[in-house]
Amino acid sequence: MTANALPLTDSALSLRPAATVMELERLGSFSPTRLSFARRLTRLMSDQGWRVSRSHFDLDDEGHGEAIYRLDTPAGHYHVVVFSQHLADAQRTDRVIAEAWDVTFGLVEGEVDAELMASLAANVPLQEAGRQHPRLLVISRANKSVRNFQAFVAALASGEQPSVTYLRESGYLYRTTAVYGNGKFGIADYDRLRQGTDFQHPFSAQMAAIYLLREFSVEQVEHIARCRDSQRVVDLAAPIRRYLGIGNSTGLGMAPFLINHPQLISQWVLVRERALALAISQQPDEASRTRLLALCTRAIAYLSETAIEDVPQATRNQVAHEELLQIVAWLEQLPLEDNSWAQLSEWALTHLSLETQELVNTLLIELYPAQVDALDDAMSVYEKLDLSPDMPLVQLKQIIETHFDWAIQEDYSNDEARYWFWYHSAEKEEPRLGVRGQEAGEEKELSLAVGPRVQRVYESLCAVLEAGPRSRTIDLLMAHPEYMSIVRRIQTMANTEYGEIRANLWHRDMKPMHLLRAKLSFLGAHRFDPRGDRWVRVAFFQGAPMLSDFGSAEASKETFDDWSFPLAPLGLEQASSAA
Amino acid sequence: MKVSLNELQSVCRKAFLGMGFSEGHADDAAAMVGWMQSHGLDGLKALHDGLEYVMASSTEGRPELVYEDADLAVVDGRELSVLASGNLAMELAYTKARVRGLSVIKIRHCRQRQLIMGYLARLADRGMNVTAFWRHAQSPLTEQVVGFRARSNVPSIRVYQLEEQPEEDAPNDGITIVMANHVDLLPTVRSDDEYALLARLDESDLLAVHQQSLAEGIGVDPDGWQQLKTLASQTLVEASEQSRAGAGPAD
Repeated sequence: MTANALPLTDSALSLRPAATVMELERLGSFSPTRLSFARRLTRLMSDQGWRVSRSHFDLDDEGHGEAIYRLDTPAGHYHVVVFSQHLADAQRTDRVIAEAWDVTFGLVEGEVDAELMASLAANVPLQEAGRQHPRLLVISRANKSVRNFQAFVAALASGEQPSVTYLRESGYLYRTTAVYGNGKFGIADYDRLRQGTDFQHPFSAQMAAIYLLREFSVEQVEHIARCRDSQRVVDLAAPIRRYLGIGNSTGLGMAPFLINHPQLISQWVLVRERALALAISQQPDEASRTRLLALCTRAIAYLSETAIEDVPQATRNQVAHEELLQIVAWLEQLPLEDNSWAQLSEWALTHLSLETQELVNTLLIELYPAQVDALDDAMSVYEKLDLSPDMPLVQLKQIIETHFDWAIQEDYSNDEARYWFWYHSAEKEEPRLGVRGQEAGEEKELSLAVGPRVQRVYESLCAVLEAGPRSRTIDLLMAHPEYMSIVRRIQTMANTEYGEIRANLWHRDMKPMHLLRAKLSFLGAHRFDPRGDRWVRVAFFQGAPMLSDFGSAEASKETFDDWSFPLAPLGLEQASSAA
Repeated sequence: MKVSLNELQSVCRKAFLGMGFSEGHADDAAAMVGWMQSHGLDGLKALHDGLEYVMASSTEGRPELVYEDADLAVVDGRELSVLASGNLAMELAYTKARVRGLSVIKIRHCRQRQLIMGYLARLADRGMNVTAFWRHAQSPLTEQVVGFRARSNVPSIRVYQLEEQPEEDAPNDGITIVMANHVDLLPTVRSDDEYALLARLDESDLLAVHQQSLAEGIGVDPDGWQQLKTLASQTLVEASEQSRAGAGPAD
């Protein structure tokens, strides 16, 4: 397919405006792209020849014990250490307030000697309650999908492949309930990772740890089945292995991240929008049309066979399914023109649901790996909110009016517009939402809602300017020191392409689920299945290559690079595995 | 016990919020303590030794200007911690230096002066040359000089012994800071021949300590750490059945 030269600057690309992209509901409709961090990891592992070996596997017949996987990259070596224990059903909860899990694990930099292993064994299973070692880059925990786990063990032990029906409903054996990085509970700071070469990219260490837990989940289930019946047992067939992901249960705890890291989120959006603009600027040809049709067909099948419990999300998926069929008809019938991709995007924008619009954008980005993948490295940003105290106040006023019009136009005195407040619960400092005036804790409100803070600054600023038209930002701050944080943020974010998420996080209609999905899409999560309005289950790495694929002559480039919208393998249930 | 830098700053930030600091002041105070501690300069000890001043300062977010002109400012610290309003005083000096090329600010009657280095590092990182000095009322009388080059967030530090105590410096509870937008200020403002050099830390020394902090974690006193966590807990809301509702499935 034809690929135009890479435009070097954003001005050469037709980026969508911030007012469109940073609207919360749109961000909450994003699907993962090939730039998502899970996809990037398997590409990187393949391109750089990362090697993984199992260096320790000491599990009892029930799969409880320890396992260690060694990871060698061209630049360093690491270990994922897994602790598996018996967990009573009554203790198995996805809530962050849990104190025990089926497995706990961590990604360690360097060698694991007896002393370090003893420290890990004493602390990793405790998670937040432990004092974690500074060579740990990530710690996490996961609970079994008990039904899948039991079905898989029973099938394999009896010489059969498990039914993939279960995996259509939840595509994993384990789901993580928190994945901690960046210095949490004593582990390594992200600043340290930034100095290395392997895990500089945001959330790359977390993705590597989750990926290796997926490998463990397969090896553990095979081990238990082998212990149960060593004569009849079969290994899990390769297509089912690949169709297994790792689940994740995520709640409001993820939401503050998007507000507390505005530069990072803005940068992620910018890179995604650059990729989309690059794709749209390419000249379509028959090869790219055929490829897009194939991607649409796979996405349609994925939406059709993926069971989602949440009725609103299932409805959105159903609508997207139907609208993708319209797009297929469009693609099959219309003559290709130079701007066909722009036409498609525009048509989607004006006629199709948000879910489908962003799905189409994901598929367009997928068409041009040579151009898009070069943007990978731009996902990192050095986060630093800087004050410009010498900025003339009249300039600060103009910045607010230009970039924060959405914030200063809201009427925050309206009960609907100030409905929610955010706070940290004493239970593991979990972020929560309370109803203003009805629930306790308002006096300890977190300042996550940027809009009202900007409006307060704007009102004070106008008064200071009136008294002194030549005032500078420092004059405002000397009069109102409490604005230091938000002024710093306004000045910094005004210099970014996409700026802030445009939402009043106090508003009664605000959906925190949109915040969660926005972040999860960048991480690479799919199978988005909300549980209520503040909790969601997703899957990572479903369809991704297994470790055995990396050394396999049979594995193609597509194995490592083209595993979005995974489809269930068929016809394997009764077959003995030759995997 | 060992903690990470992010953890240290996060707990300090919440502790300052728990004491009543505004958001921006809590951010900055936590960054100042974290910078000091991660560079081996005992930020936590300074914080704990003067915690009463910090708590007394918690609602004082504004420096009291005694004198100001285009190049110079004098601020009364009112015996409060530099964590409370040192950031604004420094931003005032930064503004003057940006506008005029050079500025001098004197903060009189302030506490925990060492901690101001954590904020000066930020200003230097933003392209400002900064030199700060202050005197310790001990015997012998000493003067500490801290110099940051623009775009470097670690300083050179010198401690000198002074022969005589000038009359005007009797209280020894102030800081003098000089900022220059374009001129590289030397960290050594006095001749070693006249004043005995008691201690010296170069940029490379501090960078090495910072790297070690990132690699091995930062040592903290468990009791002091617990004290910070207790202060931080004042930002938390007690859980109730109502608050648990919607906080996730109980499966």
